[in-house]
Amino acid sequence: MTTSSPDLLPATRNAVSLLLLAMADDEFVIGFSDSEWTGIAPMLEEDVAMSSLAQDELGHAQALYRLLAEVVDDGRDADAIAYDRPPEGYYHARLLDHPRGDWADAIARRFLYDTADSVRLEALAESSFVPLRELVAKLRREERYHVMHVSLWFERLASTHGEPRRRLIEALERLGPDAATVLAPLPNELAMVMAGIVSVASPELEARWRAEIEPAFDRLDLPMPPAVAEPDSARTAHSEAFRRLWGEFTSVRRAEPGATW
Amino acid sequence: MTAPALEPWEVFRQEKDGDPMRHGGSVMAPDAELAVHYARELFGRRQESIRLWVVRRADIHDLADPDLLQPPLDRSFKKPGGYVMREKLAAAREQSGQEKPQAKSR
Repeated sequence: MTTSSPDLLPATRNAVSLLLLAMADDEFVIGFSDSEWTGIAPMLEEDVAMSSLAQDELGHAQALYRLLAEVVDDGRDADAIAYDRPPEGYYHARLLDHPRGDWADAIARRFLYDTADSVRLEALAESSFVPLRELVAKLRREERYHVMHVSLWFERLASTHGEPRRRLIEALERLGPDAATVLAPLPNELAMVMAGIVSVASPELEARWRAEIEPAFDRLDLPMPPAVAEPDSARTAHSEAFRRLWGEFTSVRRAEPGATW
Repeated sequence: MTAPALEPWEVFRQEKDGDPMRHGGSVMAPDAELAVHYARELFGRRQESIRLWVVRRADIHDLADPDLLQPPLDRSFKKPGGYVMREKLAAAREQSGQEKPQAKSR
């Protein structure tokens, strides 16, 4: 049981830093991407719902960056970690590198991400690193609703023949090949499994995630996401679309470096 | 399956244990499941409710007939407080030309 960040062994500490960075950047990037739907969602109520999901994710990212700042302990605060990196320094999954796309893209991306994220969080629910375990317990309570909500839309698009289903399938063809990047292996993850930080390694996480979503994909007659190509660059080598997104979400921060907000 | 039309749903909310369910407002949704989600977004995501009821507006039996709800004859004797005397006293005073007695100052 590790109750505070300084007690982590150096090798474990590095691995935990990368895990937290991966999780925080995932939440930050999907949160920012989905916030682009504010004001232009297909109906007013859904506009509110999607914006609220996006806000939740930014809140989760903030909590994860704060914990990361404690673990890394190099003088940077959560905002510095979130905003003061070049685009190639971000460590989110390639699934989140795709441009916003249409509404089916947004739903497909969220469905693939939220289902994978909930498997990842479940494996951290009993973590020996107490601050992470406590944070994960809170995140899981909110993420439960995210999965519920996006599943409703996913099912409705899939079972409404014509344009909705066609667009969803096209979105899955674009995003599916990158879906499992959320659960791609992280450096030194074995050290984390040995230390009880996370209960299982990523191949088992991916197997659990596939078992979780397969019944829905079967029932809705949708193509299951294939295995990830180039898993080594699952969280690096970001797209042009992400560079544009980065340009936007850092623009205010870069306008006045060092300013106190 | 074609896309269903949006329809209004009425949302009732309970603020704390023991409170009555009070009408909060309405949401538009194509079905009950999404209506519950949208009710949560608009009336329950900031810890302002502990329970929500979501009712399809079309399922509500509406009664707004004044003949039934606002009968024209005085039935105030049916109320626990008995007859409303204010108007009768005023009429009697006017007939007799008396002023309304003022409250005594102490």
